[in-house]
Amino acid sequence: MTATTAPEAALGVLPRSDGSAKYSHAGYTVTASVNGPIEAQRRDEHAYEAHVDVIVRPAAGVGGTRERHLEALLQASLSQLILVKNFPRSLIQIVLQVEDSPENDYVNTKLVQASLNFAIMPALMQTAVLALLSAGVPMRATATATAVAVVHQDGAKRTIVEPSPREIETAESVHALAFTSHGGLLLAESEGDFTVKEWDDLYETAKGICCRSAPAKEGMAMVLDDEESAGTDMRQFLRSTMESKVAADLHWK
Amino acid sequence: MTAPTIKLPAPLFAKLSPHPFLLRNLTSAADPSLPPARTNGRGTQDTRPLHIKASSLSHAHGSSLVRLGDTTVLCGVRGELLPVERIPQFRPVEGTREDVESGGDDGVIAGRGEMRDYDLLVPNIELATGSAPQFLPGVPPTALAQTLSTRVYSLLHSTGLVGVRDLRVWCNPKKDGEGKEGGEDVKMEGAEEEEEEQDGVLEEDRVVAYWVLYIDLLFVSFDGNPFDAAWAAVVAALRNTRLPVARWDPEREMVVCSRTERRKLDVRGLPVACTAAVFEEKELGEVGTGVVEGRHWLLLDPDRLEETLCREAITMVVDCSDGETRIKSIEKQGGTSIGRELVRGFAGIAEKRWQEVKKAMK
Repeated sequence: MTATTAPEAALGVLPRSDGSAKYSHAGYTVTASVNGPIEAQRRDEHAYEAHVDVIVRPAAGVGGTRERHLEALLQASLSQLILVKNFPRSLIQIVLQVEDSPENDYVNTKLVQASLNFAIMPALMQTAVLALLSAGVPMRATATATAVAVVHQDGAKRTIVEPSPREIETAESVHALAFTSHGGLLLAESEGDFTVKEWDDLYETAKGICCRSAPAKEGMAMVLDDEESAGTDMRQFLRSTMESKVAADLHWK
Repeated sequence: MTAPTIKLPAPLFAKLSPHPFLLRNLTSAADPSLPPARTNGRGTQDTRPLHIKASSLSHAHGSSLVRLGDTTVLCGVRGELLPVERIPQFRPVEGTREDVESGGDDGVIAGRGEMRDYDLLVPNIELATGSAPQFLPGVPPTALAQTLSTRVYSLLHSTGLVGVRDLRVWCNPKKDGEGKEGGEDVKMEGAEEEEEEQDGVLEEDRVVAYWVLYIDLLFVSFDGNPFDAAWAAVVAALRNTRLPVARWDPEREMVVCSRTERRKLDVRGLPVACTAAVFEEKELGEVGTGVVEGRHWLLLDPDRLEETLCREAITMVVDCSDGETRIKSIEKQGGTSIGRELVRGFAGIAEKRWQEVKKAMK
């Protein structure tokens, strides 16, 4: 349920789509399928670039306005990553099915909720990127995302990475940040009550999770890094997932 | 020898190739010493004049009309009573009225749960046909309208603009004091009238109903930057909202509203949204690949033409009413031009915007 569990991912889980991925972390499980480039409908067709279509389906019920908002955010981010100019007049469709989401034991969870949920953003982003990699869609960079919450506890402020629904409810502010593999800030969504200084600190935390600088090979530095590497490094995780998939695929050689 | 140049009138140039048109305007090759100007004549950091007019609708409990340049939004707030027996899975509020109402910050947080669980705030946004060429008649709500209403809904809850204590209707509204006066009372359906003294039937305080606020926004004319305009309209309308005083009538066992007496909503703070779009020199900009990036301009309060040419945008909601600048929300998407430094710097721009909006609210 909590962030202490390591993320898990599998590639190519759906046989019929061009690329697919399943990812679970912090209580969320998301399956994504990617088809593309395929023929675009006429209204979506763009003369110079591919149209990126993102569809988010919730774990229960049909998608509402919140899903539309998530789709808009993901669409804006992913079309920056995909080399859309390589496929004019075509469509790249990404379908994200949320399979499991953590429940808040304190309240009766309603089926349709209109308010934003930043905690699901990392799972959606990671799954989409993995599925795009699995489909072999050309991209100029990959992206990783994380969610961070600031809670007031015993008179001190504490930062929680990948917060649970209950922690989000009591948090002062919740943030979702995504970074490209080059370290650029791709997406920043925050709500709550905070100052510029606090946001700055969170930026550091989130960047450390999303794209930590490559670990030094020297034995000395490795020892120093040990306590820091207790957390997950998303960029490294994406990389190792892809590496193991490639190794498995090329096993017959 | 120079090649003969074709002279195009500006509107034609803008129509044929909008991106180079805006780029030429910003770079102003004629005189590099001049500050960059946009096609609409504004500087990069200039906003359009904001006009706010409150209570323009007579049948709503609160309303506002906001004009931001050519973007015009009409917002109406209408309260409706929701009896608790109609709420599925209703959990009674614990404690007496005094206890609950005097609760400090904790009460507010608990209240947010009530508002969210029972959906006491219902914002809806409609982009009227004809307000901009891209909105066609007879189609379901567009992705833009849905996204906007989600953002407004979420911000309404996260800022705690309306407190739930204004929306609760209690069973025993302070025994003698306020219950008596207030002229004629009328049933919410407006059927029969009644005038009677309420004798102190000593019953335990309990919440019998909630006010549900329907916040409807209509874009009369749409020229970019919809969220800033919509949010300003919501805040102005809520500050203007006066709900009738409602009380529990034990005889008929229903909630009745006063016909004459009205109570203002207690709107906490003044959060102000400030949006900017990033215009990149390269058309169909490339995300940070490590190589040298083209120039980019931050265009504050983008209009419709600019919005179609920009992919990256940032919206920051700030509230400086406590003296200190508190950020209520940051939304940045669609590119990597805005890094950490720009977000930090943008807080200053948003502060300036807050002062302007505050002046316009008066």
